Amino acid sequence: MFHLPRVLSAAVLFFLAGIPSSAQTRARPAAQIPRMPDGKPNFTGLWQALGTADWDIRDHSSQAGPFFQLGAIGAMPAGQGIVEGGEIPYKPEAAAQQKENFKNRLKLDPEVKCYMPGIPRANYMPFPFQIVQSQRDIAFAYEYATANRVVNMGKFKEGAVDTWMGTSNGHWEGDTLVVDVTGLNGNSWYDRSGNFQTDSTHVIERFTMPDADHVSYEATIEDPAIYTRPWKISTVFYRRKEKNAQLNEFKCVEFAEELIYGDLKKK
Amino acid sequence: MRLRFIPCASVVAAGAAILALIAGPANGQSAQGQAKSAPATRTATTAKSWTQPKTPWGDPDLQGTWTSDDCIGTPLNRPANLGDRLYYTEQELAQRGQNIERQQQNDLQETVAPNQRVGTGPPGHWGERARRPCKQTSLVVDPPNGRTPDLLPEAKLRPVPEGAGNNNPKADSWEDFSYYIRCISRGVTGSILPVIYGNGQQVVQGPGYVMILQEMVHEARVIPTDGRPHASPNIRTYMGDPRGHWEGNTLVVETTNFLGNRNGIGLNGGGTPTSEALKLTERYTRVGPNELHYEVTVDDPKTYVKPFKIAFPLTQEPGYQNFEYACHEGNYAMFDSLSGARAKEKAEAAKKK
Repeated sequence: MFHLPRVLSAAVLFFLAGIPSSAQTRARPAAQIPRMPDGKPNFTGLWQALGTADWDIRDHSSQAGPFFQLGAIGAMPAGQGIVEGGEIPYKPEAAAQQKENFKNRLKLDPEVKCYMPGIPRANYMPFPFQIVQSQRDIAFAYEYATANRVVNMGKFKEGAVDTWMGTSNGHWEGDTLVVDVTGLNGNSWYDRSGNFQTDSTHVIERFTMPDADHVSYEATIEDPAIYTRPWKISTVFYRRKEKNAQLNEFKCVEFAEELIYGDLKKK
Repeated sequence: MRLRFIPCASVVAAGAAILALIAGPANGQSAQGQAKSAPATRTATTAKSWTQPKTPWGDPDLQGTWTSDDCIGTPLNRPANLGDRLYYTEQELAQRGQNIERQQQNDLQETVAPNQRVGTGPPGHWGERARRPCKQTSLVVDPPNGRTPDLLPEAKLRPVPEGAGNNNPKADSWEDFSYYIRCISRGVTGSILPVIYGNGQQVVQGPGYVMILQEMVHEARVIPTDGRPHASPNIRTYMGDPRGHWEGNTLVVETTNFLGNRNGIGLNGGGTPTSEALKLTERYTRVGPNELHYEVTVDDPKTYVKPFKIAFPLTQEPGYQNFEYACHEGNYAMFDSLSGARAKEKAEAAKKK
């Protein structure tokens, strides 16, 4: 899905002609993407997914929200899913668990309580995230709940302990950043519809920049405990281009305290 | 956080409260002798031949995971009997070094000796420890008496929420507790001032940005260094709106746009809450391969009678790394404090009947 730029000015052609042979042998034409001094794509920037995957990563129709008081604001919009092939290959017990989760989503969805979202959910929530890419490691700061992670680009490190955001080890495959995520604690969901993972879920993410302002994102998810086979999600992150765009602060704990501790308040 | 501490979300928050209870007052050792001039050198890590490394795009490279551990226990405000003396004498430092060694020996003990005091808290090795004595007598370095300037009358009216350390806290609501105990934020200074654990500061730099990831409470400060203006003053946050620039090899970070009446300038963001007029100017200067000099000027014309400065060293230590501090997700301390208070009220009401 990589196109040659439609217009190559004489200057650009001249420039390309001057590139050493090693760069010329790259599989893909040099797209106009930001690059680090060593030639790796530079993902530094503010990114955000569009779409409705945080409601349901599968194809879904619009429907009423759980609180009529919110009217149209609280309703769930329809959307194309991000699961390749449409369905998540749950084992039968897991499929039943998902339905149960959906029924009790107001109680069980970690997002409702402002818990950290885990991977991959953090990437396509309706909030931006900031990538800062160094010559070594790559840091992700997510606006929602100030969740974050640092992708270790050095020697593979196993997580010392399972965590909400998991342990991310990355490497480059050409211009693609591949991030291997293990050590997830199994408490995270993929969306507000009860699709879930376990502490044996393994996520392999692939980030590629087809041009300067988009990231093609794919993740392969495997977990023999609840899925019959590995499955894949894919979506797009858009660079936030507004002149004053920046990561804001969404410390949502205080928006969830009445919900979590309300019955323990002095009457 | 040290690798020996294997945290899990369910115990971390409870541990924070318990450790704060058992941590006790900061170093009660009284200093003796006459004031001597300040030690001329920093730690041995400052190699003479060391030059500041640069990133491939030309900025000074401050990357790594840094900790303020060495000044754990150093009080924010200097004890009055030390006057204007910022540094300990060599003799006092040697004594403090011995205390650290003794503590290291104690930490290695796997079992408790007969008659030794045993608490109900977690083991000592959960905490972080200084590896070498802090040379300073206080974290406040200016004014010369090492004490935070007086509060303005309006600031004294701001209530200070419950921190950890009170066995019988006011617990009518979660709102009685500090923003740290609620796992919301410790604020900018509270997230770097040395405490009993969670002091890690991981710096990741990219072209035009510095990100500082702070272990507790999983903060990520995104600091643009491209000269862009501050966000609108109508956007207010716990961690403020940081803007950075380089002055030689020093990263200077100016932070404004704070919410007023949240965290204070104390440990863990405790103390009298600052106002929305707060402006912090931080300076990060790497002075050796494993040492960074940190200082912050606190300017809040609605809280303090004048600005003041806090400074202390940050170091890189072998094996030291940040862990995920899932505070809110495991905040049993909040649940237990509230449910305990309600149970107590119920029992007292039953007694009266």
